[in-house]
Formats: sequence, structure tokens, C-alpha cells
Amino acid sequence: MSAESGQSMQDGGSFAADAPSDLSILLVNLLKGVQYREQDERQWARLLSLQPHVMDYVSVLGLELVLDEAEGYAFLKSRAQDGDTESGPKLPRLIARRPLSFQVSLLLALLRKQLLEFDAGGVDTRLVLSRDEIVEQVRLFMPDQSNEVRLIDQIEASINKVVELGFLHKLKSTSSQKQGPGHYEVRRILKAFVDAQWLSEFDVRLAAYQAALRGELIQQADGDQVREPDDE
Amino acid sequence: MSLDFDTLSTLRLQHPAWRLMRSDHAPLIASFLHRVFVVPNVRVMSQADLVEILEDELYALRLRLGDASFPGAALHYLNEWAAPDKGWLRKFYKAGTDDAQFDITPATEKAIAWLTQLTERQFVGTESRLLTLFDLLKQMSEGSDTDPERRMAELVRKRAEIDAEIERVASGDMPVLDDTALKDRFQQFMQGSRELLSDFREVEHNFRMLDRRVRERIAKWEGGKGALLEDIMGERDAIADSDQGKSFRAFWDFLLSSRRQDELTDLLERVLALPVVASLEPDPRTRRMHHDWVEAGEHTQRTVAVLSQQLRRFLDDQAWLENRRIMDIMRSLEGRALSVRDRMPAGAFMQIASTRASIDLIMERPLYTPAFKPVINDLVLQAEDDDVDAQTLFEQIMVDKARLTRHVRQMLQERDQVTLRDLVAAQPIEQGLAELITYLQLGNDGFSSSVDEQTMDDIEWFGETASGDSVRRVARLPRVIFMR
Repeated sequence: MSAESGQSMQDGGSFAADAPSDLSILLVNLLKGVQYREQDERQWARLLSLQPHVMDYVSVLGLELVLDEAEGYAFLKSRAQDGDTESGPKLPRLIARRPLSFQVSLLLALLRKQLLEFDAGGVDTRLVLSRDEIVEQVRLFMPDQSNEVRLIDQIEASINKVVELGFLHKLKSTSSQKQGPGHYEVRRILKAFVDAQWLSEFDVRLAAYQAALRGELIQQADGDQVREPDDE
Repeated sequence: MSLDFDTLSTLRLQHPAWRLMRSDHAPLIASFLHRVFVVPNVRVMSQADLVEILEDELYALRLRLGDASFPGAALHYLNEWAAPDKGWLRKFYKAGTDDAQFDITPATEKAIAWLTQLTERQFVGTESRLLTLFDLLKQMSEGSDTDPERRMAELVRKRAEIDAEIERVASGDMPVLDDTALKDRFQQFMQGSRELLSDFREVEHNFRMLDRRVRERIAKWEGGKGALLEDIMGERDAIADSDQGKSFRAFWDFLLSSRRQDELTDLLERVLALPVVASLEPDPRTRRMHHDWVEAGEHTQRTVAVLSQQLRRFLDDQAWLENRRIMDIMRSLEGRALSVRDRMPAGAFMQIASTRASIDLIMERPLYTPAFKPVINDLVLQAEDDDVDAQTLFEQIMVDKARLTRHVRQMLQERDQVTLRDLVAAQPIEQGLAELITYLQLGNDGFSSSVDEQTMDDIEWFGETASGDSVRRVARLPRVIFMR
């Protein structure tokens, strides 16, 4: 209701409210990406009031609306039902699942942990990390190599990928000081995508890989004496 | 706190204020931060601005002391002062900007305050301070007295005193404060008001510490969920219900009442006009002291609101359980990732849902259009001789924003808020819709506006039709409220 009144005020009360257009704008914006409250408070208010309509509409497309009022973001995701069940014709995915390399997956997991620790200790809402801090985080999990530049390049490639996914936001460097490596804000939306379920799946896959690797090594060890990895 | 040897040696190493005093750059740091933050009562400054000011300061110093002094860049110094081992500046990111923000810490403020006290005062007023202390004692003893008879007796005694004074004044015997007494009081007033202002930073700091302690307890909690919730329920308002929170709220309510504001303005005007006080040459900002208090208080108020909100979010028990699980998984995950780091899995490993739908219609792609190449001719256009009536350019409707602002201010002098409808009833709209729209754009000059989308208001005015007849027009829009 309040959304309609918002419309009529803009028109100076000259003609009746035009609710569908509000809904259209909301839907198109949601399809295009995550909506944050801080971006547009009015639109956020409209979204809250039209929430049932939005849900109805997107369910036709096989999507559902995820809206976190406390954090102030909303986005669409594919409904879980068309997962592995092979029964009946499947709805093609409107929202793609994007494959991630191991390094990018690991970076996402580490960022999620950072965000959690930041929330537990900090007072601010915005977690900002410098590139060097991110590199320090990931470095531990990279193979030892003497070529520092190559290492940083690799990690930076992962960072760029995460920026593209929309979970990191590169801050504009405003100070005209020397253009050092940039700073990145970890977007809070990361919490919704990299959740406990996702992480445990990651863990399971990694365990499978670990087991496969070990089997392979043991086979090799029969021939030449390759060091066995720890049983842990 | 006892000032024994061990406490002091720890303080000397750990307290930022003492570290500031020991720093070789103390004169630069203290003078710079005093000038930028304390004197103009600035609470938050963006990195870009602060770097610029410091760069100027450093440049001036280098001109005077030679190029070798302060060789670092301004940003480098700022980051160093904000580093945890220094703790003189607080660096943080505010919502809505990508630029880092700075504020000084309470410790820095203390150090600066102590430095300002080092220079001698003209004289030390003792009488006014004794009177203040005496007043405080009286307030405490009277305020805690529950015996109605004693209270009555006290009130009667006061009335007798007042009666006696009325009689004395009626007979022309008026005791007036002499110059020394005035100076004494004014000095104390100035000191107290400055301290009050500087205390806000510490108040904010205390709030942050409170918040942090609650979070730490939750993060370290090892018991069950039921016990946690029980424990936390008591903490939901940990911030607002602390001594610090209550005292601040009382202060805020007192300061915000419009009667007090007017009274303060009035009193300050009168006192500053006294010849003795004027001869002390008080800072011109003294006149708007109470505005500074409101500003600083507002800042603190916002901090408290943000803290409470975040704490609630953090306490959300669902999130709490998820966080626990994530920490467990992360431990295992990190161990595994370490063990495979020399043979990392290649190729796609995990999947994640995209944040947007990918709709890519082939027919939506634009067709090829040859690029437009403008040809630029160097020609002087001949002006036409026709006499164009420029008057039409000036006949646009021009709504005087200042006039409308004045209307709102006038209405707000007598009350805290006013709806647009009431405002228009008192100050009829003269220029029709354009004026109405302009009202909606107001809200930066000492008052704010908000929209209640649940309630509709009809606003009417009389306009003119093309033929010049008066016609009544009505606009229906959500209720707009102007607030002080």
C-alpha cells in the first residue's frame, strides 16, 4: 500500500497509483543482481511492502526471493527442488551456477571466516582488507615457491574473480598518494552464499580429493619411495 | 587506581596517551590533532581531507626546519598514528563512502587536554568550585531523603529565604557579583563546558567497549543454547541500561528540550555581553557552545543506535549457531587444504550460484551501425537581426526557497514538528504545485523532514485558470512532517 502512495506523491496526486510499474522495476532490478538497502532506501521500502507479489512472480520462474532485513540485502536464487531429482521435465536454470576453481573456493571460505571473526570482535559493519592482507591469508595454503611475484599474481587473479562474482568490492583509492595495491570491502552478501552448507560440501569434496590423492601416492610409493602424506 | 611503580611502568608502555607524550613527534601530533579535531569540534574526517591538511602542515614545517625534518608522507604518518601499537587515531570505514575516516581516540584527547592545562591560567577560581561542590552535596542529600516532614521543612526554609530576599530587593538592597566572582565563575564554566565536549569521545569509547565485552562473551560461550539465550536476554539492552547509557540518556533528554535550548541561548548571550566577561576575550565559539554539545551528543546517540542494532544482529541465535558450525567446518577445511597444498586440485572444484539471472536474448543485440564521424567546420555564425523578446526567459516561475524555509522555521519555533498540511493551512500556497514541490525538497537547514507513507493528507490551494479565475486545487500525498 505504501508503495502506491509513494508513486502518487511523485505525480503530484494527479492520477491514480500505478502499482504494477513499481513491481516491474523491482523485479527487473532483482533479476539483474543483489539489491542493497543502502543503495536506495525508497526502493527497499517498496520491496518490503511488495514482497508477497515479488515472491509469487518469481516462483513462476522457478526462483525464490531471499531477503535479509537485518543485513539489508535481497536477491533471487533458484528454488532447490530441481536439484538431483530426475522425475519430470526440469526447469532450465535461469540463474546459472558458476564453476569455481579450488583457489577461488578457498579464498571465498577464508573471506567468510574473516567476516565472521570481524563480526565477533569488531564494532564497524564494513570489513575492509588490503590486498596484502588477503595475500597473507591465502599464502599459507599455496605451495612453497620462491617466485613471490607469481604467487601474488595468482592470488590477485582469484581476488579479481571474487570481485566479478560480487563478493568483494574494490574501493576507489581517493587519496592521490602513490597508487599502492588496492583495498577491498568484503560484501556482507557473502554470508548468504557461502553458508555452513556450502562450506561443508567444500569440506566433503576436499576430503574425497585427499583420499584419492593418497591412494595415488600409495600406488606410486610401491614403485619409487615417495614420501607418504600424513595420515591426518 | 593506585599509582604504584608497577602500574605506572605498565601504563607508560601501554597507555596511548603516555606513549604520545614520549613520542619524538609529540609536538607535531598534538598540535596538529588539537587544531584539526579538538578546536573545531570535528568528530569524523575523511582520509583525503586529513592527508591534505597534514601535508600542508608538514610542508610549512619543512620550510622552517629544513627538508630533513618529517621526511615521511602524510598518509604514512596517519596510518602509523592509527596503528594498534600507537592508538592515537581511530581509522574506520563509514557506510556510504569508500574513503577511510579518522577520529582521535579518547586517550589522545586526554593527552591534549593535559597539555593545554600546562600553560598557567590567569588565576585559579576557588570560590565557584566550592559552591558547585556544595550544591552537589545538597542535591544528593536532599534528593535521597524519603522523610516527607524533613523535605517539607527544607522547602519552608527555602521559601523563607526567598521571601527575605524579595524584601531586600524591594527595599533597594541588591547584592551584585563583583568582577572577580564573575571571572571566577566564567572560567569554571568554560572549563566545564570544554570538558563536557571532550567527554563525549570517551562516552562513545565506553559504549564500544561495552559492546565488545558482550560480543567476546558470546564468542567464547561454551554452554548450551538455552543457557546462552538466558544469559543474553539480560544483555539485549546491555548498552542502554548501563550507568553510562542511563546518564547519557538523561543528559540528552535535558539538552534536547526546546525550553532548555532557548534558555541556554539567552543566558549565554547575556553573560557574554557582560563587560567583565567580554574583557576575558572568550572564544567566539562559546556563543554556540550548546550547539556543539547537541552535535557531539547526536554523534554519540548515533553510535549507540548502530551498536545496539549490530549487537542484536549478532545475537540472532540462528546466526550464532551457523557461525559455530562454520568455525568447526573451517578448522577441518583449513587442515585439509594445508595437506594438499603441494598438489592442489586443478580445474573447477566448487560451484556457486550467480547473484544475477543471465538473460541474453539474441534479438536484443544491437545491429551494426557505422560510426558517426562529425565534420567540424570553422565557421562564425551570423547573428540574426530579429529582435527577440527576452522577457519570456524571465517569466519562469521562481519559487523562493528561503521564504519557504522561513515558514517552516517559524512553525517549528513553537513546536517540535509540523505536518505539511498544517503548515500550508497557516501559510497558504501562493505559487501552486511548484511551491508544493519545493516544500518537499526542503530539509537541510536546521530541520529535517520525513514521510509517513501510511497516512494521506489533502493539501489545497487556490490557483488561477488560464482565464484568470480562481480555482481550488487539491493534491493528495503521503503525510510530510518537518521536524526540528
